[in-house]
Amino acid sequence: MSQKVYVTGLGIVSGLGIGTTETVQALRTAKSGVGQLKYLQTNHSDIPCAEVPLSDEEIRKMLEFSDNEVITRTSLLGILAAREAFHAAGLKDNLPEMLRLGFLNGTTVGGMERSEQYYKDFINPQSDAYTPYIAAHDCGACSEKIADYIGCFDYVSTTATACSSAVNTLILAYNMIKAGFLDVAIAGGTECLTKFHLNGFNTLMILDKNPCRPFDETRAGLNLGEGAAYLVLESEKVVQQREVKPIAAVAGWGNACDAYHQTASSPDGKGATMAMQQALEMSALEPADIDYISAHGTGTDNNDESEGTAVMNLFGAHIPPISSTKGFTGHTTSAAGSVEMVISLLAMQYRFLPPNLNFTQQMHQLSFNPVERFTENVTIRHLLNNSFGFGGNNSSIICSNVNY
Amino acid sequence: MDELILQLKNEIINVLNLEGVTPDDIADDAPLFGEGLGLDSIDALELIVLMEKNWGIKLENPNQGREIFASVKSMATYIEAHKK
Amino acid sequence: MSIYIRAIGNISIQDTLGKSSLEQAIAYAEPHVRCIEPDFKSYLNPMMMRRMSRIIKRAVVSSMVCLQEGGIEQPEAIISGTGLGCIEDTEKFLSAIIDNNEKFLQPTYFIQSTHNTISSQIAIFLKCHSYNNTYTHRGISFETALMDAFVLFKTCRIHTALVGGHDEMTPLYFVQLQKLHFWKEQVHNSLTICTGSDSQTAGALAGEGSICFLMSDEENDRNYAEIKDMQLFYNIKGSEALLQQIEQFLNRNNLNSSDIDVFLCGNSGDCLTDPLYHEIHRKQFAHSTYASYKNLCGEFFTAPAFGLWSAASILKNGKIPDIQRLNNVQTTKIRHLLLFNHYKNKNYSLILLSSCGY
Repeated sequence: MSQKVYVTGLGIVSGLGIGTTETVQALRTAKSGVGQLKYLQTNHSDIPCAEVPLSDEEIRKMLEFSDNEVITRTSLLGILAAREAFHAAGLKDNLPEMLRLGFLNGTTVGGMERSEQYYKDFINPQSDAYTPYIAAHDCGACSEKIADYIGCFDYVSTTATACSSAVNTLILAYNMIKAGFLDVAIAGGTECLTKFHLNGFNTLMILDKNPCRPFDETRAGLNLGEGAAYLVLESEKVVQQREVKPIAAVAGWGNACDAYHQTASSPDGKGATMAMQQALEMSALEPADIDYISAHGTGTDNNDESEGTAVMNLFGAHIPPISSTKGFTGHTTSAAGSVEMVISLLAMQYRFLPPNLNFTQQMHQLSFNPVERFTENVTIRHLLNNSFGFGGNNSSIICSNVNY
Repeated sequence: MDELILQLKNEIINVLNLEGVTPDDIADDAPLFGEGLGLDSIDALELIVLMEKNWGIKLENPNQGREIFASVKSMATYIEAHKK
Repeated sequence: MSIYIRAIGNISIQDTLGKSSLEQAIAYAEPHVRCIEPDFKSYLNPMMMRRMSRIIKRAVVSSMVCLQEGGIEQPEAIISGTGLGCIEDTEKFLSAIIDNNEKFLQPTYFIQSTHNTISSQIAIFLKCHSYNNTYTHRGISFETALMDAFVLFKTCRIHTALVGGHDEMTPLYFVQLQKLHFWKEQVHNSLTICTGSDSQTAGALAGEGSICFLMSDEENDRNYAEIKDMQLFYNIKGSEALLQQIEQFLNRNNLNSSDIDVFLCGNSGDCLTDPLYHEIHRKQFAHSTYASYKNLCGEFFTAPAFGLWSAASILKNGKIPDIQRLNNVQTTKIRHLLLFNHYKNKNYSLILLSSCGY
């Protein structure tokens, strides 16, 4: 029970590109993935988003799927990232028998990208067009497509808490390994852009027509993005057995509900404060031990004020370097938590701070500015990652550097 | 104007699904948000859709709604002045 | 540490809300049955209800009834499982996008369409800031939610949890799943669906439900049963491997198959998926009472939550309703019950329960 849980592999796709190398390169050169839509067909093509720079056909070709394969973009993106994490952790050639492996996925839109194209046929009893895609609509179906591609899982589950889904899968992975229900878990989230949630966020009037500006006084909403990212988590025992070098250790987590409003965060940031506080307590760390905060920082009026207030509540006058990387990747919704955790762990590994793009003016409610430029030779001992979802699903997780 | 006010009350009751509320329960001047009818930010977004759909009035910034949706009367005044 | 079922709220196609056992089972003769709903107005005020879709009202009320029975106002975790989430509002928003060409869309339907709306509405209703999570994974949606609670107990993070399984089957979704051959064309008698002439055909009876459990690590005279252990499996190749997994699961609890008094399974009357239950029963649990529950609640993604209600009811009352029996094995004292479900022979769940008196 007292075993540590380590991170041993990372995988990511986003508007920044495919894989960790392209991701770090884009962060280093301040090259944002946000731009004009190329693949998603919608009347709202004037709204900037961050698409993964590959068409479905190109990804199918990369993964050797035939044209007939019933698979949606959420799963295709997920496979690219999960495969990278699986290989990076050396699991392909170094997977002892008798270990229990879990694939813990987070997604909320699932196969909606196809459903919204075929819906009239789906609900017409007389039509048999696209019927196989009915079975690809639900979130569980998306997870199983990814799990079956990798092909060695004993446990598969799907978390759907909107924008905090991926962090909640990391929390589940940690708990299941601690409790002895799993030895190794691949956990994270995946989400492709859909007309459904682009229109949904548009009705909430929180989409910026310009590149988003998290934690900026002039911020005017978020940009949506798509992507997938996974982490391989494993128990201390398995790390020793497999003789692999961990990237980081999971130190603790927090999950609290704002219980305030269905979409808005409370102005005092109660849920967010509780989630971060719980994570710190569980990690037995003081606020001063945190060297970097990867903020949820969507760029909406409401989130950034609420989250910023929560950070001030907890860290007082000594606020560690903090940034939101959504100016790079857009808000990848269910994947956001793992996309940002992978970016943060790359920062820890390669000793840099990811900048908060497009920041110019401090928010009048806040005492701090986010990290403005790519900064090198930085030691991150412990990092805190926030993810907040609709309905006040607030989650935080802390990872620790294994070299300190 | 009175006709528009009555129409608005009916539309609000219908769109926001205010079961058991009748147009008579909503005073022309009574605040719709906070006190009064007790509507919230999601209702404000619904009213923005209503204005666009029925009167072709497009609000780009939800904060504009605060004044316009102060009461049924203020809403009607705004619609009269801006409808297409 | 022991984990108990302390209280239950169950809205289903049977008259189950606020009842610890079924007095009179209702038989249906149609392939799609909707829940028996309480008068929501006696639980919720109109202002509260105005944005709540059917599934949210059911979930909030079954949670309320459950917490009232358990005498707890604020659980330390709220976790929901739902196969489809708030599908009714998802359909409304989706249709509007297509019909209105992405214009004049109502935010409420979008907000209400996300799966986690259920857990978060319960939390907002209770003003409860505790752990909050939502799982959605086909036929194991409820069990994955229960597993989350189970590991939170096991790692000493919580002492109470409200865990629910919630699904609605709208007419439009019924049509879609019909095309995938989920449902029987005809149902003559739902109560005998696993044994009568209906059991000879493919497909199941479409049901729905909203079933909540208050779990607690505290001993109490009013507890229904103890959840000893649980496990989920994915994609097991062949029934022999599955039998082995079940044996190992029992062994890790210092039991073997002869200790299982009741083998309560997810038989739905589908001639394509029920044979696996028959085989496991025949080869491993022939001496146990073999029983079903989906002849009462129908099939839906979170139907195993009704199974857990049934298991808890059997253990609390010490008897198995005749309508659920699939064989004639009699037991004088019911100590251990194994709840087993599979979804399309790809996802499997085992929940081991014991009577509190044991």
